[in-house]
Amino acid sequence: MNILNALFSGNVLALTGAALAVILAGVGSAKGVGLVGETAAGLVSEEPESFGKVLLLQALPGTQGIYGLLTAFVILNKIGIVGGTAVELTTQQGFLFLMASLPIAIVGYLSAIAQARAAAAGIGIVAKRPEELAKAITFAAMVETYAVLALLASILMVFGIKV
Amino acid sequence: MAIVKMDKISLIALQKDRNEIIDSLMKMGVVQIEDIDADNSENGLSGLIAKSGDEEKVIELDTQIEKVKATIDYLSAFNTKKKGFFESKRVVEKNELNEIIKNKSDLWDIIENIDSLNEQLSLLRSDENRLSNLIASLEPWENLSIPLEVSSTKYTLVSHGVVPVTVDAEALKSELAELAPQSYIEKVNRDKDQSYISVIYHISCGDVVTEILKKYGFSKVSFTGLTGTPAANIADAKRQIAEIKEKRKNIQKKIKEFADSRDKLEVFHDYLEIQRDKVKVLSNMAKTDKTFILEGWLPSEKSSEVKSMISQNWECVLQIRPSEEGEDHPILLRNNSLVRPFEVITEMYSLPNPREIDPNAVMAPFYFVFFGMMVSDAGYGLVLALITGIMLKKFKLQGMAQKMISMLFFGGISTFIWGALFGGWFGNVVEAVTSGKFTIPPIWFNPLDDPIRLLIWSFIFGALHIFAGMGIKAYMLIKDGHVLDALFDIIPWYFVITGLGMLVVGGIIGSIGKYMAIIGAVVLVLTQGRAEKNIIKRLFKGILSLYGVTGYLSDILSYSRLLALGLSTGVVATVINTMGTLFGFNIGGIILFIIVFIIGTVFNIAINALGAYVHTSRLQYVEFFGKFYEGGGKGYEPFKIKTKYTNINIIDGRQSK
Repeated sequence: MNILNALFSGNVLALTGAALAVILAGVGSAKGVGLVGETAAGLVSEEPESFGKVLLLQALPGTQGIYGLLTAFVILNKIGIVGGTAVELTTQQGFLFLMASLPIAIVGYLSAIAQARAAAAGIGIVAKRPEELAKAITFAAMVETYAVLALLASILMVFGIKV
Repeated sequence: MAIVKMDKISLIALQKDRNEIIDSLMKMGVVQIEDIDADNSENGLSGLIAKSGDEEKVIELDTQIEKVKATIDYLSAFNTKKKGFFESKRVVEKNELNEIIKNKSDLWDIIENIDSLNEQLSLLRSDENRLSNLIASLEPWENLSIPLEVSSTKYTLVSHGVVPVTVDAEALKSELAELAPQSYIEKVNRDKDQSYISVIYHISCGDVVTEILKKYGFSKVSFTGLTGTPAANIADAKRQIAEIKEKRKNIQKKIKEFADSRDKLEVFHDYLEIQRDKVKVLSNMAKTDKTFILEGWLPSEKSSEVKSMISQNWECVLQIRPSEEGEDHPILLRNNSLVRPFEVITEMYSLPNPREIDPNAVMAPFYFVFFGMMVSDAGYGLVLALITGIMLKKFKLQGMAQKMISMLFFGGISTFIWGALFGGWFGNVVEAVTSGKFTIPPIWFNPLDDPIRLLIWSFIFGALHIFAGMGIKAYMLIKDGHVLDALFDIIPWYFVITGLGMLVVGGIIGSIGKYMAIIGAVVLVLTQGRAEKNIIKRLFKGILSLYGVTGYLSDILSYSRLLALGLSTGVVATVINTMGTLFGFNIGGIILFIIVFIIGTVFNIAINALGAYVHTSRLQYVEFFGKFYEGGGKGYEPFKIKTKYTNINIIDGRQSK
């Protein structure tokens, strides 16, 4: 019973939320950046001068990881683990933080990969028409919108939780 | 906002004047020569004219250019004179050009020379490879004292070969000694994979020896064409390699002597390119026996200049007239220096078509504001503006790069302003360093304290942006005479959206908003079906049009990214500062802080500037341009002198008298 109590203590739950935000969004970004990188390397082996352009595309799915870290940081800040005195949370508060982290954790993970696909396809555009880079970026950015919205939802939730 | 007005030029002149006229047009560099559709010409000459142009000549010149360029690239590998990345092009004087053209056979000699020297070099390289391989294959046998050409004597046979290193060599030796006493085996060498052995045996026991060797996995190595001991061969190969190196040095020295010709070759290359462009443009023209015909576009303001230059100098029929409605003339944008950098965003989307207006002047201020809001850190803004400012000052950037960097410069300024408003100076660095004793208060408010407030402002900015886009649409409709469309399709939406916004505020404003929204909605219901004759269909279509409100709402919600990205910069900056101050304020801690701060700040600026660029562009492309913009215009590319290395401005062309 003690273990259960400890497991469902508010702080553990809040940290779980923070961890999930970093882990899932981070893994998504890592997979995404890697995926675009592979495609980009293919193009750069043929046209080394396009490096700068494809690097831009490769960086795009990387933002979800940052959003995850950001959400985690806001949570840690709120519960006083970073910068301030640690607060003892109730189980309910802990669950609130855990829920608040879910949008960016889940949407971050999936959108990073989906965005990477769009960006990788965008490298095809750059290969054939280097001047159309902006359109390739826009296609990938369309996906990012949902990561931004999820980040916004997560942050607003965290800000809204009373400690 | 301005799309420069274009005039259409049609010229019929004599063949004998053709080169002079083309030279002069090239020198002026304002006319874009269009491809004449010989069968469908405006001049009504179909059937009488033929396409001009000389494909073979273009190909020949292209090959020559390729050759010269290869030589230049080759010489620059020898790196006699390093050129700066952004160095401006060298100006070529007329004398120099003439001198070079006069002595072009010398230049071709140089090119041939370098070419053949280069060939020698590659031959030497392959020789060297061959020798290195030989040495590598002989090295394990270096201890063998039998000359390699000896494979048999009168009564004995000699056999060299390898066995896998796993084979027990002692067992092999003893088995040979037992079953074929008239044999001698020597282990010459071994490495991690195999043992190198040499066997000499009497002819009579050949079969037995072969059998035993086979059993032990012996595979024969033959040295065809080699004489003498391996050691002698290796020494010989090494000597040859040394010779090759010496030869190579000599050849390289010879090539280096040509390095001075690089400047001349560059001029020659550019000269050939100009010639090529001149021949190439001919293929856009048409000709008859005695005349040639040219059509094209030029900015209206240059018309009189071109007209007087051509008509005063040559006999010709020349017509220059303003572009007509519906004609797709090339697009040249002209904006003031504040707006010009932002043209790059529109250019990357699509140039406006001739029937539209240039959106840049409306777009630029929004881009400026949104970019700054998304990064929103005064310190970062200063850094960004400083770096891009120095780049602009120091390097003579041109074209796209110049616009892009200037745009980032303005973005930096905007970032600085928003950062100061929100109280972000490298995140919270002052607070972090002074352990909370000092903070720089925001001029307006800190979004971290009250994100909802900024969210609402983001929506307001978004609504204004969208309204501006709709306003341009209305303007274009009115300009084209569709006043009713503007009145019914756009104005009611202003009421509905503003009204709904006010409704959220509540109170008296809320009730005013309610009535505004209702009025707008009623007008929409009554007017949106006006194309339909049937009254029920008309009403149905009107009601259906209200569904469009979801589109506008989702557009406006999309501006929440202004808040999200702005917050993310601030929070990541705070993370960096917190990490940096983890180890307190001793010497180690301060050094750590400086390292973390610099790396983190550079990273954060880069990733946020990229994010701001991407998302601001998206807001322009999807939310703003989506309201009115068609695009699809083709850029204005006048026929002019285009050079790669140098600046040749001397062409024999006439001026207007």
